[in-house]
Amino acid sequence: MSAEALSDHAALGDRIAGAVLAALALGAWWHAGSFVTGFMQPVGPGVFPRLVSVPLGLLALYLIVRPGLNHRWPGAAALCRQLGVLLLLGAYAAFLEPWGFVPSTLVATVVLMRLFGARWRQALPYGVLLGLSLYVLFEFALGIPLPDMPGLSV
Amino acid sequence: MEILDFLAHGFAVALQPEHLLLALIGCTIGTLIGALPGLGPVNGVALLIPLAFNFGLAPTAALILLVSVYYGCMYGGRISSIVLNIPGDEPAMMTTLDGYPMARAGRGGEALGLSAVASFVGATVATIGLTLFAPLLVQVAIRFGPAEYFALFVLAFATIGGVTSGSFTKSFIAACLGLLLGTVGIDPVSSVARYTFGWYELYDGIDYIVALVGLFAVSECLLFLERDRDKATASLRIGSAIPGMRRSLACASTIGRGSVIGFISGVLPGAGASLGSFLSYVLEKRWWGAKGKFGEGDPRGVAAPEAGNNAAAGGALIPMLSLGIPGSGTTAILLALLLSMNITPGPLLFEQQPDMVWGLVAALFIGNVMLLVLNIPLVGLFAKVLQAPSWFLMPVVTLVAFVGIYSLNNSPFDLYMMLAFGVLGYVLRKLDIPTVPVVLGLLLGGQMEFNLRRAMSISSGDWSILWSSGISIGIYLFAVTLLIAGLVYALLISKRLK
Repeated sequence: MSAEALSDHAALGDRIAGAVLAALALGAWWHAGSFVTGFMQPVGPGVFPRLVSVPLGLLALYLIVRPGLNHRWPGAAALCRQLGVLLLLGAYAAFLEPWGFVPSTLVATVVLMRLFGARWRQALPYGVLLGLSLYVLFEFALGIPLPDMPGLSV
Repeated sequence: MEILDFLAHGFAVALQPEHLLLALIGCTIGTLIGALPGLGPVNGVALLIPLAFNFGLAPTAALILLVSVYYGCMYGGRISSIVLNIPGDEPAMMTTLDGYPMARAGRGGEALGLSAVASFVGATVATIGLTLFAPLLVQVAIRFGPAEYFALFVLAFATIGGVTSGSFTKSFIAACLGLLLGTVGIDPVSSVARYTFGWYELYDGIDYIVALVGLFAVSECLLFLERDRDKATASLRIGSAIPGMRRSLACASTIGRGSVIGFISGVLPGAGASLGSFLSYVLEKRWWGAKGKFGEGDPRGVAAPEAGNNAAAGGALIPMLSLGIPGSGTTAILLALLLSMNITPGPLLFEQQPDMVWGLVAALFIGNVMLLVLNIPLVGLFAKVLQAPSWFLMPVVTLVAFVGIYSLNNSPFDLYMMLAFGVLGYVLRKLDIPTVPVVLGLLLGGQMEFNLRRAMSISSGDWSILWSSGISIGIYLFAVTLLIAGLVYALLISKRLK
């Protein structure tokens, strides 16, 4: 990571992160109080999380006071693509079992290739090819059982 | 000469046809993954771990496969540094300084050949070092009790700043975050559910493999989406690698120095491969002074960091295998693999499973030779892979990660978890908070807490047991020394950058 990739006016990100982490540390400390210490345990289940949340909280506060450098945040177009990929992968995870591996993977590879910048005429053939070859590779060559299409289970 | 006996036995294990084949596959895949721009060794090994599980391989075989991938990635990382000026990971950064100018001058093949030999020598020196020194460390570590182990974990986290060469505050924040995430799930000692908020999927804790594939591979894909799209990479003439191999004879002293420096920085906890390649380059540059043309395509500027880098990668295996404390990001991932196979590295591993340890060491020697041989004819092919369009490569990477994680438990929940860790990793990397300490915290937290509690139950609640033995005081002193050295090093670097 080279120095010029860092933008110097982005201390705001660090401050927000510091605040979130400080809140997290506080929450972890507070919640650790509810862990019941058993009989004959000098160190109960709450001690170690508390030991960790103290430096986490202090360092997070330090980050708010003395923020460092952040990388440039993405523009609107890139952000849309990233959200698109996350939504697609989330949907893929959700449809993997109800639809079966092959149909959901074919849709996922084609759309994923589009999101990574392929044209339709590139994404369609190569997406189908990739989806099918992954199926053959995983199901037959590596012997990893994958969810079948509904009604087609062998 | 007990070591030689062990090693001979190890070779007998590693030379079994199945293991040889796995080493070959691992070296090839590793070189390919390492060569892909942006996908360094960490991502490569992370991606393949879930797959290695699904092969149903025995632990020794899986370990041989992944260690070959690890060494292969270290080899492959230099290809994109030299040909495309894109370092696959941080340690490969120094190689771009002279490697890319060489490639632009039409000496790409020479640079690749030379760096293959330098990598080979570096890795071999480190593997010999591993053979000699790991058993010595084991002799010391066998006397460790829980308090000493706790001190050792403190040492690992105190020196974590060096792994990542980022800001100290941020490295420690990342480590604490990882340690906290590591406590999620049912507490093994008291059976109390911690931070699960009623989600029964979290009762087993956060799966390290799901977390690290998310933190590394998924976040890499997200980062990739915002880079400039498909800038046509000028295809460079690579040429033959043979002249580079000959050139390496002229650079023999450079390679030797680089290997030793790299090895030492690899063994130091927390220092790792980045420091290895950086130090060997800088020292070599200073050694030759005005006589060298460093930065303009001096072959020695390729040989030194490559030898250092690969020697450090091997050296980092020493603390990982003998103490269970990883010295670099990738060894952290290998540790994740071992832990998920219910193998706890440490002195006991050497006593109880010498087959595995020495088979692994022998596999490293064999893998090295294989990589060198593979690199002569195949370097052109590997360089071609770089020119495959990213719209094809990135979906392949994403889907392999997806199927691998899904097949661990056949659970969509793991996939959502992986995506969540992907977003976390992305945000952390944007904030310049390193992700390796998060993984280390997640991995080592359980053992650290366990040792703390054991020590405390031995002393029935007296905290002073933690610093009551000479060994643990020594470890704390060492931690403080390394911490101060790291701070001074960071100050020097930031001065130089200004």
